[in-house]
Amino acid sequence: MDNSICQVYEDKIQSLEEEIKLLAEKYEDSQQESTFFSDEEILMSKKSFEREFWRESQGCESPSDLKAQLESLETDLSFLMKFTGIQFTSHFKKTMEKTRNRTVQKHRLSGNCHSLSFQLEFQLLEMQNKENVSVVVSDLSITMESGEDSGVSKFVSSIEEHGNLLAFFRSLSSYAEWYEHRRCTFLHFK
Amino acid sequence: QGKMEEGKAYSPHGLFAHLEMLEARAHEADVKEEEAKQQEEKLARLKARVQELTLQRDELQAKVDLQQKRQLEKEGVASDPAQPSAQAVLEWKIKRVKAMLQVFCLTGISGKLTKQGVCFCISTAYEGTYLDSYYLDLLTKPEVRILRHSIPIFIPLEQLAKKYLQTDIRRFLSVLSNHLNAYAARKYQADQLQEHFSDQIEGTLQTNSLCNLLVFNYNVPNKSKTFPFNVRLLYGDLCSSIPTKVTVSCTSEAPASLAEMAAAHSDLFCHVALHKAFRSFSDAGES
Repeated sequence: MDNSICQVYEDKIQSLEEEIKLLAEKYEDSQQESTFFSDEEILMSKKSFEREFWRESQGCESPSDLKAQLESLETDLSFLMKFTGIQFTSHFKKTMEKTRNRTVQKHRLSGNCHSLSFQLEFQLLEMQNKENVSVVVSDLSITMESGEDSGVSKFVSSIEEHGNLLAFFRSLSSYAEWYEHRRCTFLHFK
Repeated sequence: QGKMEEGKAYSPHGLFAHLEMLEARAHEADVKEEEAKQQEEKLARLKARVQELTLQRDELQAKVDLQQKRQLEKEGVASDPAQPSAQAVLEWKIKRVKAMLQVFCLTGISGKLTKQGVCFCISTAYEGTYLDSYYLDLLTKPEVRILRHSIPIFIPLEQLAKKYLQTDIRRFLSVLSNHLNAYAARKYQADQLQEHFSDQIEGTLQTNSLCNLLVFNYNVPNKSKTFPFNVRLLYGDLCSSIPTKVTVSCTSEAPASLAEMAAAHSDLFCHVALHKAFRSFSDAGES
């Protein structure tokens, strides 16, 4: 009889711990998503962080080197943008819903691929099932600069209809290269 | 005299045995008392922990509620009266860059630089659903070489590498991505079929590891189950998720109307994804 009371308390403890974890994540997400620091502020922070650490460590190895971590990540990002030709100019993300098994985020992305610029909005649903995490895109909306081209608008509508974000980016690179080539050719003959 | 006393002490119903029994009983009672005490202490600990966590949870909840309220009042940038530390700013930026790198995963090609080269991650998806990702660890010096990868063995990786890797890495990745995405799409269709239309499928779905040959029997909904259709789908183009050759047949005893339907299905499977075709059968059956 005592064991079942213990079990009730233990279950309650587990559920409280999960709630706390989720609330903490919610708070962090919300802080992250509603804050903005400009590039100058980032640069200043990098410099002052270096100074703070130098003062504290005085020659010893710098511990969790945030600055190095940030620079490594930024190098990876700039490599990817150069390699794929896809440059993202802004990214806005908002967590709409977060439970133990389910996260829903709204994304707004703008960028360009070669000279072609685009703006995207979509919802991302992440669900934790037994073995893995499933990621599904929905409510996809795309705005493209060369919207007058009927081929492009047909392509965009079909992508939007099926939420085919991956296909959009895969086609974007080849289309943008072709578009750029055509534009240069026209300019050449002007 | 001693002998008599010895006899008394060691006789089975003697004082010694009696004392032993009393001691055993007392010991048992002690153990039980100790257990009960431990149980009580455990319960008290658990109860205290629940109270502690409840307090923590309530405080956090209040913090989140206040944060939501503040954000509603000032849409956009939340003004923090305290000046954030350099560390906080850097941590914020790190999260931002990580989020941006995750977006690259959604575009199909992501990666990170390594000491010897670069490790690419190729994602696959069917419409809005993201499927498996595959990684490719490349060395870039002295020439481009594949160090490690998780590409399945039935994808012609070596062939593609031979053709494109040295001259145009971008092209190599693009063609590889086409193969992987087409395979993922074919597999997805077969999986969806088994997941949602298993009641129409007779027996098992036969397929190869590349999922470019699919053979199975199925029943048309609302029609008698005595004349199942047999379908063979061949996907000749490994970069496509639509079959190049479809054969739908039914036994010769089947009525002509079913034979006509088989021909119609055969045509449908050439243009529409498998699971979508089956969905249209169900919808047509219901109407």
